[in-house]
Amino acid sequence: MALFELCGIHSRSNFKTTEDDHFNGEMDSLNIIGNPTQLALPPLGCPNNKNLVDEHGREMKINYDHGTTTLGFKYQGGIVLAVDSRATGGQYIGSGSVKKIIEINDFLLGTMAGGAADCTYWERVLSKQCRLYELRNKERISVAAASKLLVNMVYNYKGMGLSMGVMIAGWDKKGPGLYYVDNDGTRTPGQVFSVGSGSLYAYGVLDSGYRHDLEDEEAYELGRRAIYHATYRDASSGGIIRVYHIKSTGWVKISEQDCTELHYQYEEAERGSK
Amino acid sequence: MASTKVVNIPKGGFSFENCQRNNFMAKQGFPAPKAVKTGTTIAGFIFKDGVILGADTRATEGNIVADKNCFKLHYMAPNIYCAGAGTAADLEMTTLQMSSQLELHRLNTGRQVKVATATRLLKQMLFRYQGHIGAALVLGGIDSSGPHVCCIYPHGSTDSLPFVAMGSGSLAAMAFLESGWKPDMELAEAKVLMRNAICGGIFNDLMSGSHVDLCIITREKAEMIRPFEVANVKGERQGSYRYPLGCTATLSTRVIPIEIESTVVRPVAEESMDTA
Amino acid sequence: MSILSYNGGCVLAMKGKGCVAIASDRRFGVQTSTLAMDFQRIFEMGPHLYVGLPGLATDTLTVHERLRFRLNLYELRESRKIKPQTFSAMVSNLLYERRFGPYFVEPVIAGLDPVTWEPFISAMDLIGCPNVPEDFVVAGTCAEQLFGMCEALWEPNLEPDSLFETISQALMNAFDRDAISGWGGIVHVIEKDKVTTRLLKTRMD
Repeated sequence: MALFELCGIHSRSNFKTTEDDHFNGEMDSLNIIGNPTQLALPPLGCPNNKNLVDEHGREMKINYDHGTTTLGFKYQGGIVLAVDSRATGGQYIGSGSVKKIIEINDFLLGTMAGGAADCTYWERVLSKQCRLYELRNKERISVAAASKLLVNMVYNYKGMGLSMGVMIAGWDKKGPGLYYVDNDGTRTPGQVFSVGSGSLYAYGVLDSGYRHDLEDEEAYELGRRAIYHATYRDASSGGIIRVYHIKSTGWVKISEQDCTELHYQYEEAERGSK
Repeated sequence: MASTKVVNIPKGGFSFENCQRNNFMAKQGFPAPKAVKTGTTIAGFIFKDGVILGADTRATEGNIVADKNCFKLHYMAPNIYCAGAGTAADLEMTTLQMSSQLELHRLNTGRQVKVATATRLLKQMLFRYQGHIGAALVLGGIDSSGPHVCCIYPHGSTDSLPFVAMGSGSLAAMAFLESGWKPDMELAEAKVLMRNAICGGIFNDLMSGSHVDLCIITREKAEMIRPFEVANVKGERQGSYRYPLGCTATLSTRVIPIEIESTVVRPVAEESMDTA
Repeated sequence: MSILSYNGGCVLAMKGKGCVAIASDRRFGVQTSTLAMDFQRIFEMGPHLYVGLPGLATDTLTVHERLRFRLNLYELRESRKIKPQTFSAMVSNLLYERRFGPYFVEPVIAGLDPVTWEPFISAMDLIGCPNVPEDFVVAGTCAEQLFGMCEALWEPNLEPDSLFETISQALMNAFDRDAISGWGGIVHVIEKDKVTTRLLKTRMD
């Protein structure tokens, strides 16, 4: 499939007669498998209702929104990403073990906050685009380029109800790269980001402990601690705390710990220090 | 001493002290939640010896069953009972209040209360509240003028008919009554018809369920049969999910011992005899 | 979002053999932000009588004070301990009085009869419709989860210790699926000669 597109061959084109041509427009909008960067939208104008409603106008609960805490920061040893794992639909906890760090390739990671489906879908598309870029150009895509691909895709749907606040982090020729991308079409590089409903709590810890010259272990602990404090105060964050580290050799998973375990561990440590 | 604060002793009637606050909160996007409703099947009809009333026993709160075996047949007077559908608290309180009023009326007049009196009292009260008290009732009773069955709607209108059904399952129940009811039915026949009507509601209306309760009022007595039939038998649990002792982690335990210093047993009946 | 779930929190009560248990979480929050983890929503109204008031926190406090006032008047007038049934009717009356401008609480009452030591539990909606079942009652933001847990775990004639395990596990597993309940739990097991209060070690997220 990928090769077909690379060569510019469409599977349909072989069977096409000239009379069919005026159906092409319609066919294109229906064929979402052929072009995953475009959704097949109903011909009803802008579907900007964020929450779907049923036939009685009641809000449907299938829209899993991520109340989330994610964070990422650059330091001397690379980039640390840390996330929680709770998925909520309203006040209901749909899952406590979601993977909110998406492994785009060996050198790129994306985090998810906002609509779960939106984030997973578009980061999967990004993953494909990055792979195609590698095949075309015989070199890895830069973090700047990858994040721009994503922001361009979501910008096409601006105002139509996509909900995502993501960080794209990776290592390329220029060294570590960290970008924040959201559904408004924002794309901005930075040193320290936190995204999601618990981000304010996480920033509190992060900003008080952040230095550029942190040691690796210190950096992991800072990220972990910031997420833990967010899960403690924010009702829609919780579950397992995952920490990833991106260095010149690619990303590594550092830890996956239940935040209850961490809570009693920290409590014990605090009691010991008194 | 003139106190600045007079102790607020509760008095009768509704209190509207929270209304302004609640309206304000509703405007802020926090609407008042729904109360428990008895999406219900209730019915009543006249048979040869008197009146029979029937009800299911489910109470719902939105899409959850709040009570699987609730009372929907209420005592009004020794010769009058009523079945209720609508807001559960309204039914409970309205029928309690009316039964006490009817008892006072009975003591004042020294006569058996008439069904018409109960109906009139209820409809006047409900009309006064303009439908805000969500009580839909099927009133049944027997008095000096014979057996009566009467529907009372939340706004205060009434229907006096030989057979009636109300609640969300009333269509299902009425289907049975329309096809099965005939004048001067025997008690056994009447019980079967009522059971069928209520089961129609239980099985075809999602808001009705659980058991069938019956109330049979004849000249001699009023008899409550609860449950008449367990229409929805609860499934038997196959395994035991009991947690072994000590598997719940606790942070602290505090025991408050309650010592009973003395126990006084006072036979009330005997004493009240002596005091005169 | 309903006003009943503005502050979060839940309460449940269960009958056992010669005992009753009442349990609640300890969170006080404003929507998704957690402000306190030591909030009290179960109150002692007598040696063998407890009431839980989940719902809007301001009303939890107000209703508790109003109930205390009425209860004190009752006990002064009658010079005897109140029966749980009577207390339940008192709560119901207080709430129904405000039928058209309710307090946003859904009370749960658990106690032992002061004469017969018969277990009693009841629950009410916010306008005071009483529900007096034979097994358990639940209320609060994770009522649906609690219903599920209780239906699976409860069985008749549980001894006090087993009742504690049952009610604690029902509570914890229910509020672990609710974002705005949890952060610690408290369980009171009421017996004829003692009341045992335990704080639970729970998830803190």
